[in-house]
Amino acid sequence: MGDLLANLLNPYNLQLVMLIAINCLLGLSVWVPLSAGQLSLGGAGFMSVGAYTAALLTLQAGWSMPAAILAGAALAAALALLLGYPTLRLQGVYLAIATLAFGEMVRILALNLRITNGALGLAGIPQMVDEVSWYLWDHTSLGSGQGPLDPHTAGSLIILGVLYVLLAAAVYALLRQAGSRVGRALRAIQADELAARAMGIDTRYYKLLVFTQSGFLAGLAGGLYAHLYYFIGPGDFGFTRAIEMLLYVVLGGMQTLWGTLVGASALTLLPEVLRFSASYRLMIYGGVLVALMIFRPEGLISAALVDALSWRRRRPARALPPGEGAA
Amino acid sequence: MARRGHAGAAPRPLETGAHAATVWLQQLINGVSLGATYSLVALGYTLVFGTLGIINMAHGEIFMFGAFFGLLLVETGLLSSVGMLAAAAGGAAVMGLLLEYIALRPLRRRQGGHLTPLISTIGVSIFLRSLALQLFGPESQSFPAALKGGSFRLGGTVVTQVDAVILTAALGLMLGLWLLLGRTKLGKAMRATAENQTTAALLGVNTEAIIALTVMLAAALGGVAGALVGLSFAVSPSMGLPYGLKGLSIIVLGGMGNVVGAMVGGLLLGFAEVVTVQLFSSSWRDMAAFALLFLLLVVKPEGLFGRAHQAGGKV
Repeated sequence: MGDLLANLLNPYNLQLVMLIAINCLLGLSVWVPLSAGQLSLGGAGFMSVGAYTAALLTLQAGWSMPAAILAGAALAAALALLLGYPTLRLQGVYLAIATLAFGEMVRILALNLRITNGALGLAGIPQMVDEVSWYLWDHTSLGSGQGPLDPHTAGSLIILGVLYVLLAAAVYALLRQAGSRVGRALRAIQADELAARAMGIDTRYYKLLVFTQSGFLAGLAGGLYAHLYYFIGPGDFGFTRAIEMLLYVVLGGMQTLWGTLVGASALTLLPEVLRFSASYRLMIYGGVLVALMIFRPEGLISAALVDALSWRRRRPARALPPGEGAA
Repeated sequence: MARRGHAGAAPRPLETGAHAATVWLQQLINGVSLGATYSLVALGYTLVFGTLGIINMAHGEIFMFGAFFGLLLVETGLLSSVGMLAAAAGGAAVMGLLLEYIALRPLRRRQGGHLTPLISTIGVSIFLRSLALQLFGPESQSFPAALKGGSFRLGGTVVTQVDAVILTAALGLMLGLWLLLGRTKLGKAMRATAENQTTAALLGVNTEAIIALTVMLAAALGGVAGALVGLSFAVSPSMGLPYGLKGLSIIVLGGMGNVVGAMVGGLLLGFAEVVTVQLFSSSWRDMAAFALLFLLLVVKPEGLFGRAHQAGGKV
């Protein structure tokens, strides 16, 4: 029994489960604008900003990790707001390619600036798990080897808990938002932006709002990512990452937020599951994408499926109270 | 993932004391040569977008396979630029046909969301890149020097034979495409299908065949571009991505679906890059495309040659 537990809790598995939480945050950062019909591929850029900011603050300015990670997320959100302004009037593919260009610009900057250490990237970033483990080692009985777990495993479990609490908080906030006046405005914009504006919805405000939220989530995920690994480099936040983030959402199903979570988890695990096929796994991965788009274009989790699984019966549509429909 | 290695167009060494005019003339030649390949890549994107309204994310990988098809032919001992380009075009066209039948047509039947063709072509691109890694290995390979030929001087500037091949092939293809679209019945059918599929079908155009043909033509142009880029730099499985991204920037620059816009946009980007290299350094070269694109989108979202009503579609 103890062996089984130790096997299950090996550092590799634990890190994989932590990565799932981070990828879920990344997926949500794409889902939020997409829920208002805005396809943004700039997520990798915002993740990069969050990761580099947080890593530089802990590495060189000596900030504490939570403060640095929050600062990274805040800076990414601010940048998203700034980027949102000029790109507001872009639609569809134009917005996608403009945000993609933004992501590439961030990558090329990181590749060329001295502070980001160019192509070599930043190494020796303090790790969240280490920090907690050392604390446990010094201050609890785990350090003397008497506890059921060694300090490193215990530290990993604590960080794992923190990551999932953060994810749960993000999910809760987004669910509350989807059920509110804001959520209805976003759905209206997704259905038809022109009609939404004609109904008095301030589309500029809501589009900037989702952009900023998206930047915050990606920046947060970036900061966490930087402090989960020792090293970040410009190559970690390139076009491939942006596409991966989009795949989480589309593959999982973009109709609901749950699809994104399922998609991010599945796509993080899939390469591990396909590990047996070694060199063919990317080919299988690509084939799966094509097949899924042919046979289930709405993604793994559709809104109808969520309704069917929901223990709460769907409320019959009711008329909105006056004043609530238009935001 | 290091994927920019091969794309560095180092400025040709200039003899010392060459006065500024010669330097810029040399850069003009470099810019046209580089820009012409960009135009070819962008034309492939724009043809497919104009007809189907989708971005073919596998285009960069077809471009890469085109270069390998050319290389494979040359390795059989046939040292001919024309044969090499024909092999690249033919092989890539077959890949385009497969793409249409496997990843595009089934989606049109199902009428999925607007994002589904984007994702399915991304799937194809992941598949193709990993297939190329399996087949050809990760290293960069070069065309034999005998095929590349030497260089000649033109009023103080150096023009390589590769430049000449690129210019002849690219400009010839663009002229051919322009004539095909503008002057032939087939071109008229293609433009009609791009304009409105239902109406074109009602008027007796076999739209499915035209779409397949357009995708094949786009792939063939991409394949030739890949072979030309491979000829002047190197061939590797990762060469598709940077060119694909630049091709995407160019079609927005020139206006989505606009054929002339893609040609001019490609040349413009070629110039912008050599100017960037000349004024700053080669490590900032890739910034030119994205900065240019970003600026343009903010100032004139419909692209240089786009019409205002091209709203970009819904996602």
